[in-house]
Amino acid sequence: MIWALGSIGRIFLEFLVSTGRITLFLITSLVQGIRPPYYFGQIFRQFLEIGFLSLPVVGLTALFTGMVLALQSYTGFSRFNAENAIASVVVLSITRELGPVLAGLMVAGRIGAAMAAEIGTMRVTEQIDALVTLSTNPQKYLIAPRLLAGITMLPLLVIVADIIGVFGGYIVSVYRLEFNPATYLKQTFDFMEIGDVTSGLIKASVFGFIIALMGCYHGFNSKGGAQGVGKATTYAVVSSSILILIANYILTSLLFEQGQV
Amino acid sequence: MTPKFVLQNLQKSFGDKHVLKSVDLKIFPGESMVIIGGSGTGKSVLLKCLLGLLPADSGEIQMDGKDILKETAAQNEARLQDIGVVFQGSALFDSLSVWENVAFRLIHAQNMNRKEAKQIALQKLSAVGLSESVAELSPSEISGGMQRRVALARAIATQPHILFFDEPTSGLDPIFSSVINGLICKCVKELGATAITITHDMNSARHVGDRIAMLHEGRIVWCGPANDIDTCTNPYVQQFIQGLPSGPIQLETDIRHVA
Repeated sequence: MIWALGSIGRIFLEFLVSTGRITLFLITSLVQGIRPPYYFGQIFRQFLEIGFLSLPVVGLTALFTGMVLALQSYTGFSRFNAENAIASVVVLSITRELGPVLAGLMVAGRIGAAMAAEIGTMRVTEQIDALVTLSTNPQKYLIAPRLLAGITMLPLLVIVADIIGVFGGYIVSVYRLEFNPATYLKQTFDFMEIGDVTSGLIKASVFGFIIALMGCYHGFNSKGGAQGVGKATTYAVVSSSILILIANYILTSLLFEQGQV
Repeated sequence: MTPKFVLQNLQKSFGDKHVLKSVDLKIFPGESMVIIGGSGTGKSVLLKCLLGLLPADSGEIQMDGKDILKETAAQNEARLQDIGVVFQGSALFDSLSVWENVAFRLIHAQNMNRKEAKQIALQKLSAVGLSESVAELSPSEISGGMQRRVALARAIATQPHILFFDEPTSGLDPIFSSVINGLICKCVKELGATAITITHDMNSARHVGDRIAMLHEGRIVWCGPANDIDTCTNPYVQQFIQGLPSGPIQLETDIRHVA
């Protein structure tokens, strides 16, 4: 019994210590990021890396999710003669939930891992120490641009994912299930409200922040050579994925209370 | 002469492991001090304490009479502007080209325009014996010896008055080591800089050092002119420079029966 309580206590204390460290890391990175000089080259590079280069992964995920959603909805709704609801189900599911969550999880795998690996390698090869000796604050140079790119680029990716996802549903509904294209599109736009899209974009922004913070934090604090970088990469992907799912529920609840969902 | 650096009773521990127990050392302006010692004796920790990359637990590090352990982060950043460092593994930035690495401080800390900074970078690359054709390459496309030269060019790009070298010849063949040693001497002389080199390569220590200090078990056990090291009677130094398996330096793993 005492052993079990001790274990729970230890885990809780470790959780508090980690939370404190991440908070401090975030505050220093934000403070450094606000102060000039600004590294526009680094910011542009991260915009490109997180935004443009993630388009194929996010686009493919959204396309097939929209297609599957249309097929599955048809299977279920045809039992109640409610096939007409497919367009609304596809557009609402994609914009409210699947677009931001799936884009977040895919970007966590692609970008979170890359951030942790790149910054972790820089840590173990003394490149971060070299930055300090070259009169450059590593949190300003490495972390702040990634946080900014994460917060701003994921919503843009989600807008693209929303469009492609709805298009995927349209392709399956029109060319496979033989829906009328004009009717499908009309139903899509009739049911969709601006709040559906904005709630997804708010979520995307938070998910982008989580991915960048976890990737940078675990990379920045990695140690012990290649094994340490490997661990940092795993922690970054796992922690950001779990936090995305937790944050998704919290944000959905908050937006629901405010009547946006 | 007023010392450039004064280290007094410097201590640094990691948990139960006392890496620096009590380091006392003076380094004078314009001299090249080499700190030798076995692997794991805390040479790199000492260097990082001097650079402010690691906080010392207690003691004093004075630079130009000011205690750098009491400095704020901003003061440390300002102090580092006059210091050039060559790291053990070169620590070049993979995402930048060779010339951008050399010009990094000029562009990012001194706000020099890229064209002007590139010209200076090319001059520095030439000073360490590298041609313009290397400038546009990525660090991963050049050999280890060339990377070390690029790291040296980066360290001297802003003409600092203090240079730190962490194992500058480790992992290099004897010819490249000799080239790097020659370049270190040339750069230190041309800049009139105070140099601190950490190494366990005795050829390098003899070549670049005006004075040599030996670090063992967290203390400086010997310090003297580089020319005197072969004739000194200190048993630690003699065991180290002759590479003897038996002597006062106890190896953590007993390999004496191998010799």
